This record gives sequence, C-alpha cells and structure tokens, in this order.
Amino acid sequence: MSRFLQATVLGLLEGGLYALIAVGFSLVWGVMNIVNLAHGAFVVIGAYLAWELKEQFGIDPLMGMVVVAATLFVAGYLIQRLLINLVVNAPIWMTLLLTFGLELLLVNAVLFIATANLRHISTDYNTASLVLGEVRVPYGQLIAFGVAIVLTLLLVAFMDRTRTGLAIKSTGMDRGAARLVGINARHIYAVTFGLAAALAAAAGAMVAMARPTFSPGDAGRFTLFSFVISVLGGLGNTWGALAGGLVLGVVQAWGGQYLTGTLVNAIAFGALVLVLIVRPSGLLGKPFYEARVEAA
Amino acid sequence: MATPAAVDVDSPPAAESPAVGARPGGRWWAWLLAAAAAAYFYIAPIMLLDSFQRTLATVFMFAALAQGWNVIGGFTGYPSFGQHAFFGLGGYTVAVLMAKARWSFWPSLPVAIVFGALFALLVGMPVLRLRGHYFAIATLGVAEGLREIVSNLSSITGGGAGITVPAVGALATTKYPGNTAFYYLFLTLAIVSTLIVWVIARSRFGYALRAIHQDEEGAAAMGINTTRAKTAAFMISGAITSTAGALYAFQQVTVYPDNIFSVSEFTVLPVVMAVIGGTGTVLGPLGGGVALAFLSEWLRRHYTDLHIFIFGAIIMVGVIFLPEGAANSLRVIRTRRRLPFLENVRRYRL
Repeated sequence: MSRFLQATVLGLLEGGLYALIAVGFSLVWGVMNIVNLAHGAFVVIGAYLAWELKEQFGIDPLMGMVVVAATLFVAGYLIQRLLINLVVNAPIWMTLLLTFGLELLLVNAVLFIATANLRHISTDYNTASLVLGEVRVPYGQLIAFGVAIVLTLLLVAFMDRTRTGLAIKSTGMDRGAARLVGINARHIYAVTFGLAAALAAAAGAMVAMARPTFSPGDAGRFTLFSFVISVLGGLGNTWGALAGGLVLGVVQAWGGQYLTGTLVNAIAFGALVLVLIVRPSGLLGKPFYEARVEAA
Repeated sequence: MATPAAVDVDSPPAAESPAVGARPGGRWWAWLLAAAAAAYFYIAPIMLLDSFQRTLATVFMFAALAQGWNVIGGFTGYPSFGQHAFFGLGGYTVAVLMAKARWSFWPSLPVAIVFGALFALLVGMPVLRLRGHYFAIATLGVAEGLREIVSNLSSITGGGAGITVPAVGALATTKYPGNTAFYYLFLTLAIVSTLIVWVIARSRFGYALRAIHQDEEGAAAMGINTTRAKTAAFMISGAITSTAGALYAFQQVTVYPDNIFSVSEFTVLPVVMAVIGGTGTVLGPLGGGVALAFLSEWLRRHYTDLHIFIFGAIIMVGVIFLPEGAANSLRVIRTRRRLPFLENVRRYRL
C-alpha cells in the first residue's frame, strides 16, 4: 500500500510538471491550429539557460526561471512574427514541417554548444525530502509542482481577465471576426507563441531543478507528452492541460509499478489514439472553440 | 479559420493546384528525363564505387518512401505521420521470419508487404475517420505505440537489443547479396512505386482521391465511396513503405526498434521530400526524394557536426518558399515566366 501511495504522490508531482510543459503547446494548438513540434526544444533550451545561469552567476533556478521565461518570450514572439506567420494559412503539414525544421535546428544548436552530456542543477534544497509517514516527498519536485500549478492558474487568470488574453481567445475562435473588431492578429499570434515559449522555458527550468538529469535528447519526448496531454485535456483548454498532465503522470507512475520496461509509454500512446477516436474534444468535454472547421 | 472564405485556403486555388488544370501525368520531357535516368542507373553500377552504390541505394529508398507518403498525404490529403510504423513493421516482419522462423528472404518479403497493407487496413478503419492534425497525431501515436510494443516483446523481437538477420555464415537463410544487389532492389522499388503513383494519378481512383482531398463531403455526394478510397490509398502507402522497410532491414542486417521506428528519418524526412518536390504530383516526390537524400548525405559528409542544423534550416526555407513544391513552382516559372517565391509567401502568410 505504501508503495502504491508513494507512486501516486510521485506521479502527481511529475504530472504537474508535465502539465506545465504541455500548457503552452495546447494554447498554441488551440488558438492558431499549429502543432508546434519545436515545443520540446523550448523546454530543453529553458533547462540549459537555467543551468547556465546557475553555473555562471550562481542564480537560483527559481529566480533564473523568470529571466529564462522572459528571454524565451522575446524569442518566441520573433519566431512567430518572422517565421511561422508566413505559413499560417498553408496546408497543415506545412506548419508541422516548419516547426520540425525549427526543432532540428534548435536541438542541434544546443547539442553543438552544450554537448550531449546529462546535466543537473543542484541546489541546497532539491536533494532533500519531506517525510510524511511512509511517503517521501522530494522538495525539488514539490517546488516544481507548486510552480507549475501557480503558473497554470496565472495563465487562466491572464486569459480570462486581461484585454490581451481575451484578444487571444477571440482570435482563436474566429480570426476574421477578431480582425474586424480591430485586433491585430499578427501581433496576437506572436504574443500567444511567445507566451507558450515562455511557459515551456519556465517548465524547462523546473525540469532542470527537479528531474535527476536532462539532455538535448529529451526534446522529442517533451513534445510527445505535450501531444498526449493536449489531446487528453482538449485543445487550448488550460484546465484540461492541467488535468491531462496529472492523469498522465499518475498513470505512468502506476504503470511503472506493474509493467516492465517502457510499456508504460505504449499505454500512453494507446490512450492517445483511443481518446482521439472516441472523444476528439478531450476528456474534459468541450474544446476551447467549437466552431473551428478543422476539428470536425 | 471559421469563416468559409478562409477554409478554402487549405486547398490552393484551382489554377495552381496539381489536381486540376495540368495533365496528371506530367510533361513528356520530364518523363523522358526520368526514363533516361532510370536506364542510366540500371547500367551505371558497373562504373560506381561500392560506397557510392550504398549512398544511391539510400537515395532510392527515400524516393520510394516519399512516393509512399504521396499516395495518402499528397493525393488524398491525409497527412500520415506514422509512416515509420509501416517501415518498422516491414523490417521486423522480415527480420523475425528470417531469424526466428528460419525463412529465407524472398518468401519473407511478400509477407512483409501484405502485413504493411493489412496493418494500414486495421489502423485505417478507425483512424481515417479523423482529419487534419487529428489524423496526423493519431497515426503518430499508433506508430510510437507499435515501437514500444516491439521494444518490449523481447521473446519475439529481441527487444531493445535488436534482432540480427541470419545473412552470413553457415546459419544464413539467405546469403547477404551485397551492395550492388541492394542498389538494384531499391532502384526497382523507387521506379515501381513511381509507376504505381502514375497509374493512380491517371485512374478513376486517383480522381476520387483528389476529390476527397479538395472536399470530402462533395466527393461523397458525387457517389465516391470515400471510406473505401481512403483505406485503399492508405493500404497502398503502407505496402510501399513496408517494402522499403523490409529491404532496409535485410540491408542493415541488425535492426533496433529505435532505429527502424525513427519518426524523424522514416516519416518526417519523406514528408519533407514529397512536400518540397510537390505533393500530389507523380514526379515531384521522386525528384524531391532524390535531391534531398543526396543533400542530406552530402551535408553528413562535409559538415559532420552541423549537418542536422543545416538540414533543419533548409527544411524551413523550403517550406516557406516552395509551399506547393518544386514541381508546381517550376510549372509557374515556365508558363508565366516569373519566379513565384514571393507569391507563394504572400499566399499563405497571415
């Protein structure tokens, strides 16, 4: 029983981190209908920048996260404005290919600069654990989980309560109508992508702190998890992404107890395909928009 | 995107589309060039170095993979991102039959082809109901799941440690035929798959696929059995791809799940080739496949550290300036005597 409880707790903590990784991906997909294959690369870049800040300037990853997120917001804004906006209206596989090219470029740039070595940020708190009866809760993962929840809530508040957030939502629902009421769609798309990149980078900083190791090769896995979570939660649905992340984390932790090897991943993909076929709008019900033609 | 006007963006303006307007088979001189190249390549290996034959075999393999995707992605408009499932399935069928059941290669090959088609049927029945991104992601999920299953079925597939085809020594079920043989096999595969696409392009079936691409409800209203047509296209695509995988497994001798089920190499690369060459055309994917496979090999040799970086940049530039492929842009250059690159960008940008 205690093993099961321990697995559940660790799964929930891991799931919170997954949710933070996926929430930007889901936002970009929901608002712009772009599946950003370079999303995992942003996470990796965030992790490396946070590591670099810690090594070079001794900046704690929790502080470094802010710097990293701000940097990636600017980078993401420029990438959308100067690159992806050029093919937004092309057949869908064009955006897939463009972001795939971007992923190759970014991951290999990181590989070239930082080499493929496994890395880890060590602080004086992330190796210790909180002991609750039979269950051990590592502080690093607990902090990352807390950050993930707070950032997700902030995103919800931003989307619902600010003019920019509402502009993003309305552009996602009907771009033509949004432009008619004076929303600058190019700018809004770029802001959305910048936000997603910033969230991914923040998640990367947390990954660097909470996970045992990270390397550039993780980028593809992060993108795949984001896929699964976005589909589970419904596109562009922030609460859905949070729920999807937690579900995935717990299912993987439980699976790890009973299944050998990497069959856990097979289950994740099986669930993905099943949800797509049976309930393409996601587990939590209606997607962020319903009028979109592509979702039909 | 919700406005009806914006929806049409998905299918390019009729005059530009490869589906209408121009004759489906392409121009006679392009065919003459392709035939001459094919004849040359059949005679050529006598004067080629062994290592260069191997490079060319890879080039032909990618041309075939690009054609395989072209059938489902280019003609039918269903962007499969799970082609590596067929590739790996074909490869593992051959490897397992040869290593475990002690079959020789030649009877294993047709089994792999049939398996590829049957798997496409099995997967296609539920998944082809999805469209756009959803179809792409579902096929990707199926392929990634299949890889995990293959890696974990150690008793049959050897698991993550891979499986070795008995091709050398006394235990060999079929002797390793050497680079020249694989050169011919892959060359033949590239030519046969192009001919298949050519036949499809001119047939009633091909028109049905293009109709589905442009407007699936409209196609159904015209009396096309869209489910059957889509599934058939997916099966042809799966069969071509699993054939390539089967040959690849024998050529490599030892295969690993992570290698043969590589999404970037055996799905995304062929898609890039088909797109940059020209989706929905007969010769475009062939040209794109040959050109990009050569480029990739050349970059690998000359810029060992940065070749993937450069390749990523080339993909991005290609996608932005040749969104409808080289074949269609060449047609615009020839018929209207101007460079369509900025026009292409203007068409799809926000």
